[in-house]
Amino acid sequence: MKKTVLAFAGAIALVAALSGCTNAASIGTDAHPEEMHVDNAWVRVSEFSDHAGGMTGVFAEIENHTNGDVTLVGGSAEIAGMVEIHEVVMADGAMAMQKKDGGIVIKPGEIVALEPGGLHVMLMGLKQPILEGDEITLTLDFDGAEDMTLTVPAKASFAGDETYVPEEK
Amino acid sequence: MAKVSRRGFLFGGAAATGAIVASPLSAAAGFAAGSSDAATKAQLAGETAVLDRRAEFYGEHQNGIELELQACTSFVGLTLLPETDLAAAKRWFSLLTDDISRLTKGEPILADATPQLAIGPAGLTVTVGISPEFLNKLGLSRKAPPNFRQLPSFSIDKLREEFSGGDVLLHVSADDPVVLSHAVRSLTRDSAAFASVKYTQQGFANAQGVVPKGVRQRNLMGQVDGTANPEFGTEDFRQTVWIDSGPDWLVGGTMMVFRRIAMKLNTWDALGRVEKEQVIGRDLKVGAPLGKANELDRPDFEATDANGMLVIPEFAHIRRAHVPAAGERIFRRPFNYDQGVTSEGVPNVGLLWAAYQRDIESQFLPIQRRLEQFDLLNVWTSPIGSAVFAILPGVAEGQILGEKLFA
Repeated sequence: MKKTVLAFAGAIALVAALSGCTNAASIGTDAHPEEMHVDNAWVRVSEFSDHAGGMTGVFAEIENHTNGDVTLVGGSAEIAGMVEIHEVVMADGAMAMQKKDGGIVIKPGEIVALEPGGLHVMLMGLKQPILEGDEITLTLDFDGAEDMTLTVPAKASFAGDETYVPEEK
Repeated sequence: MAKVSRRGFLFGGAAATGAIVASPLSAAAGFAAGSSDAATKAQLAGETAVLDRRAEFYGEHQNGIELELQACTSFVGLTLLPETDLAAAKRWFSLLTDDISRLTKGEPILADATPQLAIGPAGLTVTVGISPEFLNKLGLSRKAPPNFRQLPSFSIDKLREEFSGGDVLLHVSADDPVVLSHAVRSLTRDSAAFASVKYTQQGFANAQGVVPKGVRQRNLMGQVDGTANPEFGTEDFRQTVWIDSGPDWLVGGTMMVFRRIAMKLNTWDALGRVEKEQVIGRDLKVGAPLGKANELDRPDFEATDANGMLVIPEFAHIRRAHVPAAGERIFRRPFNYDQGVTSEGVPNVGLLWAAYQRDIESQFLPIQRRLEQFDLLNVWTSPIGSAVFAILPGVAEGQILGEKLFA
C-alpha cells in the first residue's frame, strides 16, 4: 500500500540521514519535497464545543516532507477566538492538558500524530457551536514551512476527556 | 488528502528497527514484519487473499448490489431522532460518506475507537437507502418517486415491528465477521447523534473459497436460490435494477424490497425429497427445473408426465414466481439468517431476502401477488419483516450520499 510504503520510506530516510550513508530523496517517492502533509484531520465534537465560548481539539497526522526541521507553532480559525498547540501531561495524578511551549518540532521525514489524549491543536473561545458532521476551516502555522489551511470534519469521540489546566497568569 | 494512515505510521516505526515490511496490500504486512522469507510472504499472501478483496466505493451506483454475495451481512435499520432536521441529516450523510469511503478501503474511520480492527477491506460494502417515511419526516415528500410506499399487506404476512420499516437502511456486508463488526460499530456510532437503531438483522452466505464464483447459493431449505437473476454487467441487469429517469436524486439508484422470511424447517423436513421437489418445482440435487437436466435450463411449464399430470405442478414455487413478461423481472440477493435452535428443537432460521428493481409496483408486486395466491411453499415460509428503501445513487469523490436530495 502506498501509505505503508511512504511511512516505511520516511523511516528509512530518517535512519539513512542519521547514518549519513545515502541520499534520502532517492529512497522516498516524494513528489513535493517542500511540503508538509496533513492527513486524517478532524475536529472533536463534545459538550465543550456545542456552545459559543466553548473549546475543542483538532487532531491529525502531520508529516514533514521538507529537508529541515519544521515547528507547528500555532494556528488560526474563523470559528475560534484563539488557537493553541497543546499537550497532555500527568498533573496531580490525572491526565491534564496544557499549552505546549515552543510548539511541536517535526523532523524531516517524521510523522507526528495529534490524537485524543496526546498532542493536539486547541480551538478556544468558539464563536459558534460545532455540530457533528460540520466542516470547519483552520490554518496551521509552521515555522520552517508554508502555513497550511485545511477543512476538517467534526466528529464525536469517546476518547481523551482530559481536564484543562489553565495557564498561570 | 490521506497520505499516511495511523497504521502505516506504526509500521514505519517497526521498519526503523530493522524489520522488512512485505509487499502485501493490507495489514497482513504487519504479521509479516518479523520475516523476510519470500516463501513465507507468498504463503501469507495466499492465506490472506480474502482480506485484500476490495469493492470500489466511488461510482455511478453504490456498491453492495451488483456483486457476488459476501459471507457475512448486517441490515441496520435506523429511525430519525425527532430533532434531526434536513440540515442535520445532511451532516449525518456527510459523515457516513466519509466513513464508508475509508472502511471500504480497509482503513479506520476518522476518530476510530479501534483502528486496529481496520485490517483490510475483506470485500466490505455499505449500501445506504432511505424509506418513504424519511422523506415525509424531513419535508421532502414532494421529491418522492411514484409508488414509493411500504408494501401492501399480504395474507401470508406475519410481520413483526422489530424486523420492519426504518427510516434509513445501512446494509453492510463483508467476507469477514470481524471486519463487518467493526464497520457496523463505526457507522452506528457516527449515526448516534442523528438516529436510533431500530434493528440489526445479521445474516450470512457461503464463505469465500467454498463455492465457485457464479454458483447460485443454496438457502437453508437446501434449494438453489437466485437462478433466474440477471447477469452482472449486462444490459439486462441495468434495465432490471438501475433507475435512469425520474427524480434526479435517484438516477443511478434502485428500489429495494427487504423481507425477513422465516422457514419452518421441522415441518419442511417432514416432507420426502420428491414432495420437496414438487413444492419447489426443481430437482434438489442440481437445482434443475423438473423434467430438465441442468440448473440453468429453462423450465417447461407445459410438460406433462405419462399420466397427463403437469411435471411442474400448478402450486410449485418456480411456476408462481416465474415472470412471463420481461418488464417484471427483479434481482434477488438473499442472505440466510440463523438465530439458533430453541429448547424445543425448532431452528430459528430463514432468509434476509433482498430484491432490487427499478419499480416495485410493476416489477416486484405482480410476482408477490402470484406467490401469495397459490404458492405451496407458503406453508413452510412466513414473511415476518418487511421494508422498502430507495437506494441512493453512487457518489464521486468529494460528493456526499444523497447530495441532490439535500440540495
